[in-house]
Amino acid sequence: MTQNREGRSSGMSFGSLARRPEAGSLVGLVLVYTFFAIMGGAVFVGAPGWSSWLNIAAEVGIVALPVGLLMIAGELDISVGSVIPASQMTAAIISGHFGLPILLGIGCGLGVGLLVGYINGLLVTRTTIPSLIITIGTMFGVMGLTLGFAVLIAGSTSVFLVPTPLTKLVLGTFLGGMFNVSIFWWIAFAIVIYFLLHFSPLGNWIFALGGDRDSARNAGIPTRGLTIWLYMLSGFAAAFVGILQLMTYQNAQVATGQSFIFNSIMCVVIGGVILTGGSGSVIGIVIGTATFAIVNQGIFFSGLDPNIGSIIIGALLLAAVLSNDGFRALALKYSTKKG
Amino acid sequence: MNFKAKAFAAAAAVALLSTGAMAQDIAVIAGSVEDAFMDKIKKGVDDATAMVTANGGTVQYLRTQNYENFGPDLVTLINQAVAQGVDGIAIPVWVPDAQIPALQAAREAGIVIMQYNSGLPVMGDVGAINYFGSDEYAAGFGGGKYLAEKGAKHILCHIQVPGAINLTERCRGVTDGATEAGAKVTVLETPPNLDGDVTGTAEAFKAAFLGDNTIDAMVSCADFGAAAGANAVEQTGAKIMVSAFDFSPASLDRIKAGTQTMAIDQQPYLQGFLATSMLFAHLKYGTNISTNPVLTGPAIIDASNVEAVMAGAALGAR
Repeated sequence: MTQNREGRSSGMSFGSLARRPEAGSLVGLVLVYTFFAIMGGAVFVGAPGWSSWLNIAAEVGIVALPVGLLMIAGELDISVGSVIPASQMTAAIISGHFGLPILLGIGCGLGVGLLVGYINGLLVTRTTIPSLIITIGTMFGVMGLTLGFAVLIAGSTSVFLVPTPLTKLVLGTFLGGMFNVSIFWWIAFAIVIYFLLHFSPLGNWIFALGGDRDSARNAGIPTRGLTIWLYMLSGFAAAFVGILQLMTYQNAQVATGQSFIFNSIMCVVIGGVILTGGSGSVIGIVIGTATFAIVNQGIFFSGLDPNIGSIIIGALLLAAVLSNDGFRALALKYSTKKG
Repeated sequence: MNFKAKAFAAAAAVALLSTGAMAQDIAVIAGSVEDAFMDKIKKGVDDATAMVTANGGTVQYLRTQNYENFGPDLVTLINQAVAQGVDGIAIPVWVPDAQIPALQAAREAGIVIMQYNSGLPVMGDVGAINYFGSDEYAAGFGGGKYLAEKGAKHILCHIQVPGAINLTERCRGVTDGATEAGAKVTVLETPPNLDGDVTGTAEAFKAAFLGDNTIDAMVSCADFGAAAGANAVEQTGAKIMVSAFDFSPASLDRIKAGTQTMAIDQQPYLQGFLATSMLFAHLKYGTNISTNPVLTGPAIIDASNVEAVMAGAALGAR
C-alpha cells in the first residue's frame, strides 16, 4: 500500500522512481508531445494547440479523476456516459424550459449525478453483481429516463438554455478567446482529489479497498460507505461536466456523453492505474488524460489521417498496461532485494 | 424462406378475406421510439390519419423499440401488419436485405407498398408505388452549391462516423455541388470516439481552421457539428460560414443570431404526411403522383425563412 503514497519515497534512486505508478505514463506523455510538436509545428506548440488539448483534457479529466479513484478501489463506472446528458437536461428543463432560477437548475442537475452515484453505490455494495454490469444497467436506465422526460416535458430531445452572465463566466467562458474555464475546474478537481488520495486517511482506505476488500473490511474500514461515497463523487463529477457543457454550448442534448465512458477509462489506464485495483496515482491520471488529449487533438494539427490517432491511442493503452506490469515487476524485484 | 413467405402470404390472404377489405386499412412502419427525428414523421402521420379516418380508413403506426436489432424488428412489424390484413404499408427501407423478402411477400398478398424516408436505390426491388424522402447525394449537392453561391471558396465537409455510406454520399454531393459553382471541398473525418462530443469536435475544427486559412465555410453531417463549428469559429475568430445537415432548436437559434449560415433539412413531416395520405388516396380513389420519386429535401433553412421554421418547430412539425 505504501508504495503508492506520494512523498514517502526517500531519495531518487531508480528503484523508487520506477516504483512510482506514473513513471511509465510520464515517458508516454513526453514521447507523444515531442512527436506532435514536430508534426504539428508552431501552431500546436503555441496557444492554439495548448488550448485545444487542454479544453479536451479538462472535460474528460474531471470525469477521469473520480473514475480513477473507483478503479483504484477495484470498481468501474460506466454510467457517467448518461449522467452527463441527464444533468444538463435536468438543468436545461428547469431553468430553460420552465424559466426557473439558474442556480436551482444547476443544483438539481448536480443532484441527479449524486443520486445516480448513490444508487450505483448501493447496488454495488448490497449485491454481488459486478459493478461493470450494474453501471451499464444504470446507464441505460438513466438514458431512457432522460429521453423520456425530455420528450414528455419539453417535447424535444434538445433543450435550449441561456445562462446568466455570472454562470456563463464561471462555467462556460473561453479565456483569451480559446482557453475554456473548464481547465481551471479540472485543476481544482485534481488538487482536491490529490489530497484526498495521497494525504488523507481516505486515500489509504481506497487503496486497501482495491487491494483486498475483505481484509479492508476486517481491518475496520467502512467499505460500504466508502464505495457509495466514491460513486457519488463520480456521479457528481460527470454531472458537473454536463453543466459545464450546457453553459458553454447553451444547449442540452440527450445523445451526448457516450464518448466519455471509454475515454475516461482510457485516460485512467494510460495514467498507470492497474485494472484490478489497489494501485495508481492522481498525477498518473492527470498525465494519462493529457496524453490522451494530446493524441486526440495533435492528430488534427499534424495533417495525418485522423484514424491514425485512434491507432496511437490504442497502442498507448496497450503499452501502458504492459509497462505497468513491467514497472511493477521491477519494483517488486527492488523491494525484495532491500528486504 | 420461400415456404415461410408463402405461409405468410396465405395467412395474409385469409386475413384479408376475413376482414372484408373494404375499409382501406394502412400500417405505417417507422423507426425507434427513442429517435426524435421520428417524432416529426409521426406528426405528419397523425395529421394524415385525420383525413384517412374522416374517409372511412384506419391507420396503424408501428415503431421499433430501438435500433439494436433493427432488421429483424422491422420484419416482425411487416409480418404483424400483413397478419392483421392491412391494404397498404408505408415504410422506410433501412435494411434492404432483411426487409425486401418480407415486403415482396406482402406485395404478393395484394398489399400496396409506399416507401418513405430511406431506401431510394432499392425502390425497384421493393416494388413500392412511390417514394417520399430525400436523396443524400442531392441534399449534399444542394448544400454545397448554396455555400459556394454565398461566396465560399473552400468548404470543409465533416463526417462524424468514418465510413458510414449515407454520410459519405452527403459529402460526395457537397463536393460535386460546390465544384460546379467553383469552390473546393476538403472532407474531415473525425474518429468515432468524438461522435456526439461537441468539445472534441470543436477542437478538431479549430485545428483544421488554423491549419488551413483558406477554409471559409464548413458543413457537418451531424447537427451537433454546427454547435462545434460555431464554437471553433468563436475561438479562432475566423470568418467561416457554419452549416449542417439536420437541425435542433439550438441550430435555429444560431441561424437567427447569425452564428450559423444554414441547415439542410429533409422535412420529415412531409414524408410522414404524404406517404400516409397518398397511400390512402391510391387505395381509395386510385390516384397516382406522376412525379416519382418525390423528394422532400433538401430544404435549406437560413436567415430568410428561420422564423417560419421556428413556428413549425414549436408545433412539432419541423
